[in-house]
Amino acid sequence: MRIYEDLRVVQTRLGVLQSVAVGLLALLGIQFWNLQVVRGKYFKLLADNNRSRSVALAAPRGALLDRGGRVLVENRPSFNVLLTPEHADDLDAEVARLARTLEIGEAQIRERVARRALFRPVVVKTDATIAEVAALEARRLELPAVSVEVVPLRSYPLAAAAAHALGRVGEISDRQLQLPEFEGLGPGALVGQAGLESQYNRNLMGTDGYRRVIVNSRGLEVNEAQRRAPVDGPALTLTLDSRLQAAMDRAFAGRAGSAVALDPETGEILAMTSTPAYDPNEFTTGIEPAVWARLTSNPGTPLMNRVIQGTYAPGSTFKIVMATAGLEERVITPETTFYCPGYLSVYNTVFRCAKASGHGVMDVHHAIAQSCNVFFYNVGIRLEISRIAAYAKRLGLGAVTGIDLPHEVSGLIPSPEWKMRVLKTPWYGGETVSVAIGQGQVSATPLQMARVAAAIANGGKLVRPHLVKSVGGEAQSIDAPRDLGLKPETLAIVKSGMKAVVAEGTGWRARLPGVEVAGKTGSAQVVAKSRLEKTPTATAIIPHGWFVAFAPADHPRIALAVLVEHAGSGGEGAAPVAHDILAAFFGLGGEAPGAPGVTDTEAE
Amino acid sequence: MIDRRLVFNLDWVFLGAVLLLAGIGVATIGSATQSGRLSGLYLKQIYIIGLGLLAMLVSLVIDYRRLADRAIVIYVASVLVLLYVLRFSPLIAGTRRWILVGSFQLQPSEFVKLAAALFVAKVFAESRHETIGLRDIAGPGAAVGFLAFLIARGPDLGTAACLAPLFLSVAFLAGLRMRAVAILLVVMLLVAGFACLKDYQKTRIYTFLDPSLDPQGAGYQKIQSQIAVGSGGLLGRGYKQGSQAQLGYLPARHTDFIFSVLAEEMGFLGVVTVLALYLLVIWRMLETALLARDRVGAFLAAAIAATFTFQVVYNMAMVAGLVPVKGLPLPLMSYGGSSILSSLLAVGLILNVRMRRFAN
Repeated sequence: MRIYEDLRVVQTRLGVLQSVAVGLLALLGIQFWNLQVVRGKYFKLLADNNRSRSVALAAPRGALLDRGGRVLVENRPSFNVLLTPEHADDLDAEVARLARTLEIGEAQIRERVARRALFRPVVVKTDATIAEVAALEARRLELPAVSVEVVPLRSYPLAAAAAHALGRVGEISDRQLQLPEFEGLGPGALVGQAGLESQYNRNLMGTDGYRRVIVNSRGLEVNEAQRRAPVDGPALTLTLDSRLQAAMDRAFAGRAGSAVALDPETGEILAMTSTPAYDPNEFTTGIEPAVWARLTSNPGTPLMNRVIQGTYAPGSTFKIVMATAGLEERVITPETTFYCPGYLSVYNTVFRCAKASGHGVMDVHHAIAQSCNVFFYNVGIRLEISRIAAYAKRLGLGAVTGIDLPHEVSGLIPSPEWKMRVLKTPWYGGETVSVAIGQGQVSATPLQMARVAAAIANGGKLVRPHLVKSVGGEAQSIDAPRDLGLKPETLAIVKSGMKAVVAEGTGWRARLPGVEVAGKTGSAQVVAKSRLEKTPTATAIIPHGWFVAFAPADHPRIALAVLVEHAGSGGEGAAPVAHDILAAFFGLGGEAPGAPGVTDTEAE
Repeated sequence: MIDRRLVFNLDWVFLGAVLLLAGIGVATIGSATQSGRLSGLYLKQIYIIGLGLLAMLVSLVIDYRRLADRAIVIYVASVLVLLYVLRFSPLIAGTRRWILVGSFQLQPSEFVKLAAALFVAKVFAESRHETIGLRDIAGPGAAVGFLAFLIARGPDLGTAACLAPLFLSVAFLAGLRMRAVAILLVVMLLVAGFACLKDYQKTRIYTFLDPSLDPQGAGYQKIQSQIAVGSGGLLGRGYKQGSQAQLGYLPARHTDFIFSVLAEEMGFLGVVTVLALYLLVIWRMLETALLARDRVGAFLAAAIAATFTFQVVYNMAMVAGLVPVKGLPLPLMSYGGSSILSSLLAVGLILNVRMRRFAN
């Protein structure tokens, strides 16, 4: 029989080890209970977030159509070349091959790969050509990580035509992401950045859909769990007439300025041009920094919509307002006459008429036709500034028109209260004399002046200018024209004066065969007259030429304002542009009318 | 030769629990590798288990005391093999820990753990003192430390660390004074700290403390494993239904993180079942030490139990996100030939000690 070893210490201490083992496994059990049962729901959520990913399905933006249904803005399919680095066997070699095939810089691709979000494909090239796509397809086996996706791209077939009205799209900016109107959009979203694209952005965007996909740890799609189809943005039918628009663009022939034509009864805008313009197609795939710099540093400010953002002294076109106010307030009658010796001496100042020899005896009809300053100096002095301002405001000046475009400006109708508040100096009587012929602090946009012309044309109603007729087939409700309560006699006299402007006065270059045109010329002084006399040749100080008109004079179908920058007088610079636009509207040939045997001398 | 009596003394409950765990391991590997280039790996695991059981049965023939008598020779052989591995073996995934035997990769450090157990058991069994102090364990400690050093040079810190609980628990059983035990524990914890960590291992520890520092790197494994475990809930997401495992979010899911897959797909109930089985295995190992007829047997069984327990606890704690990620497989369940063979040989040694508890 063997003598067993003394194992008592061993056995006691084994008990300790057993307890340690049981204790450790019990602790593990508690930790697993904590993870799986207590915090199970939380980790389940994390696991679901891990495996499913939401992929947005962009809704195509709605198209923009002109009043005849012709396409102004649409979407065309374009090809984006994508690189998914996770699919590549040898990323470096593949990037090199891809760069060679597309003839773009390897460094450019690498930079985009470096900046991408993990597991997301990189857009290597937007709007690839068919030839490039074909070249990639032919090398499909060599380029396993490359794919081509078809995306709708905003397209402006008319290029720069009506660019300011239509607007442009671009990637949402960081600042816009903070705004409530862009709620729910993420970085990279394409939104309207100007014009109607911006004003009607929410309508045009439609509703994006999405796909929920199950992805594996490499971010590759395994299958699709859920899909909601996108709802296309509805098409907007505009009030624009693309043929008139083209004629208006042609009429400017490269000169800077703007014009707007509207239906005097409804306020529907038929055409709108602001030059210099830009091509919105350049923005759709992300504008090149060089192009952007060129546009923003251009002294001609091509991004500005002069129709609603350009404010100019209305010059003699303001005499329409003056004549209306004078007749309504009975400070003059149709028979009232003033003698024009070529100047008026008042408030210790000599105010000149453009015709130095003087117009002689003038009534309101002839004062409008000949654009006599002295007559309207007298009307202004009798009305005083408060009544001038009241009528100007009644006719829609000094306030935005409410057109459905963003960033419209209001222009300015000065008053003693305004001057005290802003300039902290009292009003001088001499200023009223300047205001009477649309100079001094008065300023207005071409759209406002077109609306004044429309009000005379339609029997004294102020229309609400607008560009959109219907959204997705549903007519837009527009405020009805507001009756200004002007006397028919007042309107008749002003209208007859405006007819005479074209028939025998300063606006004869706008005359049309067979269609009677009513209009008013004007010139907006750019700087003080004293400086103009010193250096009369510098373009920058040549005044802007105005012409506002409506036709046919007795049953108006179109009201118009044209402003040509640095054109000199409105009769020489702006009336011919208006002539071409009106000729196109009435389907007439474009020959310029012959001189009627009156002088060009204007006092605008 | 093997006595017929011995067969009746075989611990069938223990062996049954071991086989059950290995079976659960195979099934989980099947789920973790059901698609892709790893599919079919569970079959290979079955072959290896068969091979391991065969090796285990053969090893039962040899009395553990005869093995222990040759502990010095086995120790020297282990050192030579480890030196060979460090000098000549191919660099795989940045480490040198494998030797190629035919088409198999063998990881000698897995078997060196058994050699160390035999060596420590033998050395301490020779000591006849009632209590021992630090001076008495300095020699064997240096010898085991040298083995750990060679393994750690691999670098294979996980396996090297297994030798610490092995040595400490046998020294403890051999009557090491409590003050010395306390000192040793503190020293080992400190050594386990920073002394011999490589940079990437330090990163792992930093990201363990704050995983958000590096969600795609070292901390990624911990986070993904916790998500897998936690999302399993009480009942699990179903066999082969775990999104973390099936979509590839779990790293090393058929090897070191096999238990994450089980936790995700089988839930807390599966976890508790497996924990209970491991507890049963560990309990029987320690019971074997208690029942052993001599100090060598008791120490051998305890050494093996300590290593086994350390690996199970560390691996599960790693899966649960409690400790830094280390390349340490879960014994009996993780995929891997060397780990399975070594674990089954360890099981064989336990059976060996237990069935000879009455023999002369």
